[in-house]
Amino acid sequence: MNINELEKLNNEGVEHLPSLERRTFLRAGLAITGLFMGGTILSLTSARNAQSAMGPLPTKEQYPYSPHYSMVMRQNLCIDCERCMEACVKTNHVPEYGYRTIILERTRDIAPKEKETIFMPVLCNQCNEPPCVRVCPTVATYKDKTTGIVMMDSKKCIGCKTCMAACPYNARYFNEEIRAVDKCNFCFDTRLSKGMKDTACVEACPAHVRVFGDLSDPESEVYQLIHKPETTVWVLRPETGALPNVFYMNA
Amino acid sequence: MNAKENGSALLGALLAAGMLCCASAQATEPAVDVQPQFESYGDTKVIAVEPIRDMFSHKSHVVIAGLSCDSCHPDIFERKRGAAKANGDYNMASLEEGMYCGACHDGDMAFNTTGPETCKVCHGSDMKQPDEVIFNVPVKTVIFNHKEHVEMGLDCSSCHDQAFEMRVGAAEEQPEKFTMQALYDGKYCGLCHNGSDAFASDTRCTTCHIGVSGFERRFVSEAEEDEHGH
Repeated sequence: MNINELEKLNNEGVEHLPSLERRTFLRAGLAITGLFMGGTILSLTSARNAQSAMGPLPTKEQYPYSPHYSMVMRQNLCIDCERCMEACVKTNHVPEYGYRTIILERTRDIAPKEKETIFMPVLCNQCNEPPCVRVCPTVATYKDKTTGIVMMDSKKCIGCKTCMAACPYNARYFNEEIRAVDKCNFCFDTRLSKGMKDTACVEACPAHVRVFGDLSDPESEVYQLIHKPETTVWVLRPETGALPNVFYMNA
Repeated sequence: MNAKENGSALLGALLAAGMLCCASAQATEPAVDVQPQFESYGDTKVIAVEPIRDMFSHKSHVVIAGLSCDSCHPDIFERKRGAAKANGDYNMASLEEGMYCGACHDGDMAFNTTGPETCKVCHGSDMKQPDEVIFNVPVKTVIFNHKEHVEMGLDCSSCHDQAFEMRVGAAEEQPEKFTMQALYDGKYCGLCHNGSDAFASDTRCTTCHIGVSGFERRFVSEAEEDEHGH
C-alpha cells in the first residue's frame, strides 16, 4: 500500500481509540516535549473516555443492540464449584486444554491476619469496542449486528492468534481440532438460537451468580441489577476502553 | 576355669541373649501393623459392624456389674445381632430419650451418654477425629475444619448427632436436604452459624466454599509433592 492509497482510506478517528492507548500516546508526546507531569495526564483525555474508564453506564441514551445481550456477575456469591465450566465444556464441546469461561481466585486482607477469598468468573465480555475484532486481519471475528455478541467465523480464521493477544480478558483459546480460535458466544449457536433464554453456565450455577439477559429491555433482570440505585457495579479492565458487556457487582 | 574366664563367658551369654531379644523384637514388629485399624469415620464399624467388640463390653456388664440377662434382654435389646441398628432409631438422640443404652446410662444409674467426657468411654480409642472434612455433594469442595471446632471447646454432642450424624458421608447421602436453605433453617452448620452464635450461613461464602482451585492448591498439590518427594 503506497502513500496515495493510504490517504484515500477513511479516517478511523480517535473516538474509538481505547483511553489507555490515547494516554500512552499523550504521555509519549509530553515526555518528548518535556511536559510530563505524572498523574495529571487523565485530565487531558476526553470526557467521554474518562467516563468509560470509570463505569459501565451507556454514554448514549440507548444500548446499541437489540437484544443487547449482557451478563451480570454477582461476584460475592461465587463459590468456585465450577459447575458453569463443566456445563460450558459439555454444551460447546470445549476440548480439555481449552476454556470459554474460567474462575479466577484472589485473596484480600480484610483485617490483620484475616483474609477472604474472592472468586471471579470470567468469560468473553462481548465488548462494544472489541479489541479482538479491531485486530483480526481476516474479519473472522466480528460483532454481531443484532445481538452485539462477538462471533467467530472459524472458516475465516487463519490462526494468527492476534485476537488472543489483543483480548484484555484472556477469553480466547486456539482450538486445535478446528484449527481456529474459539471463544464464548453466549451459547448463541448451541442454545440461544434454539429458543433457550439462558446460557449453559447461567443454568448450571447453583448460587445464581450469573444473570443473563437483554440490557436494552428495562424490564430485564440484568437491566434492573445494573441500574439499581445505591449499588456499585464495575467492569473488568475499564481502562482498555473496550466497553465490556459483562458487569460485576456484589449481591 | 578362673574368674576372668567366668566373666567373659557370662558376658558372651548376655550378648547372645540380647541379640536374641533384638531378633525376636524385629520379627514381631510387622505383626503390629497387621492388626485391624478401626476407623470410625471411615464407615459404620463403630455402631454397626463390630458393636460388641468395639463399643460395648458385654463382659463388664455381666461379670463386673453383675447384671442378669433379663436386665437388658429382650426389653431393651433384642437377642439378635444388628437388631437395634435395624430399628433405625439406634442413635444418640434415642439414647438420650432413655432408649437402648440410655435406659440405664442416664447419668444417674450409670454414666450419661451426653457428657463431653463420656463419649470416649464407648466411642473409644478406635475413634479417629478428622482434622478437616471436605464435602463434595451437593456442591464441590466445601471445607469443614473439625479440629478448629474441637479446639474452640465444642463437645462431640454439640454437633453429633443433632447437626451431623457421626459418620463419613452421612450428610452427603441426602444432597436434597443438605442445602444452604437447610442451613438457614437452622439445620446442619446452621445450628450455630445463624448470625448470633457464629457467623451467619449466608455470609462469608468462601470461608467454607474454598472452591475447586482452593481445594487443588491445598490438597492436590500437597499429594503430588508427597509423591515426588518419595
